[in-house]
Amino acid sequence: MLKHWWKILAVLILLYTFTVGLLVPLGPGITAIAPQSLTTGKVVQLKIEGYNSHYASATEKSAWLKVGKNLTLPATKIEAASEQDMLLTFEIPAHFPGEKKVASASLILDNDIDGSSVKPSAVVLTQETLAPEGAALAWSTATLTGLHDKSGMNFPFRNILAETIRNTYFHVPLWFGMMILFLVSVIYSIRYLLYLQPKDDWKAVAFTRVGVLYGMLGLLTGALWAKWTWGAYWSWDIKQNMSAIAMLIYLAYFVLRGSLDDMEKQAKIGAVFNIFAFAALIPLLFVIPRLTSSLHPGNGGNPGLGSEDLDNTMRMVFYPAIIGWTLLGVWMSNLLHRMDRIKEYLFDRM
Amino acid sequence: MLVIQPMKKKLLSLVIFQLAILQLITAQSAQPDFMRSTGKIYVVVAVIVAMFIGIIGFLVYMDKKLTKLENQIKD
Repeated sequence: MLKHWWKILAVLILLYTFTVGLLVPLGPGITAIAPQSLTTGKVVQLKIEGYNSHYASATEKSAWLKVGKNLTLPATKIEAASEQDMLLTFEIPAHFPGEKKVASASLILDNDIDGSSVKPSAVVLTQETLAPEGAALAWSTATLTGLHDKSGMNFPFRNILAETIRNTYFHVPLWFGMMILFLVSVIYSIRYLLYLQPKDDWKAVAFTRVGVLYGMLGLLTGALWAKWTWGAYWSWDIKQNMSAIAMLIYLAYFVLRGSLDDMEKQAKIGAVFNIFAFAALIPLLFVIPRLTSSLHPGNGGNPGLGSEDLDNTMRMVFYPAIIGWTLLGVWMSNLLHRMDRIKEYLFDRM
Repeated sequence: MLVIQPMKKKLLSLVIFQLAILQLITAQSAQPDFMRSTGKIYVVVAVIVAMFIGIIGFLVYMDKKLTKLENQIKD
């Protein structure tokens, strides 16, 4: 039992990531605003649809439209129809400052239960004429005060992503796990070339096999996630393409081994190929996607895993998830190379 | 006689298997809003199901290989 501690650890960590990753609710967000186009100088009513919000039971409610960096306009009337539906009344002044006739406004909501949430570019404002010079404008430049904080544990609500933000604990750790498995595999391949012990080669093969399984699942889960967030299973995004190429290179590893009959040749050529495959994997996944724009976060020059993509609550699940899925991968490769060892033993006896 | 199984067949079948699953999930989304309902939570469900199928695929693969070994021991 004691020597299996890491397998037990893998199961416990995965149980933790599944329960916490799926049960912690998302923070409140705004899913719909109607109408989205407003003309100035009118009293307008905005219908707001919230997600995980408490519009009806909240007591201290406020809402603002925000134009530019610091101009705000408070709602004159706030009526909550239900926890998710709210009607805001704004008396939009005749003008907003600036040289343009059209401006986009963000919507800021705040209440004592949900805290504050922002919907950027929520509505478009159109003015008939530009604001006359020197006119006193009804928009306030004062900073918003008295905003509430949301209490309790929540994952952030992101527009478009919504609940799929939880895929961060499933899709992303698969790729991290794959990298670690391939790294271990390449270390065993180098060891094989140094000492020519067949068991190092079996281990290298086993880790690569599970790594490829993880990579395939990573492509598949990524395609599913992309379909309902980016709009298509495959958007020919640079990182999608490069990871598909990396998978083809690793598939070629098995094709190459399978095409050789001599076991020692298989092991030697396989080990050399594995080292080259890993050397190709690094630029394919970590360098090329950063040089150009990508739909994936953390690419196109930005550092990955920044605070915009991952907040501290998510880190509490995300990092354990990487460890859990990696340990599970090690367990799976362990089974594979132990089976190869038995096969070899039987082969020697026959 | 023991021969190391060529991996390409197995891997190819795995890929085809996964593509079939992808088709299955698409077919379900005929009503356009099912996958987008309740904050798109069913996308997370689909991802977890895909991973589960991958692990089951690994089990099936292990099972087949072990059966082959058992048969060789019997011979």
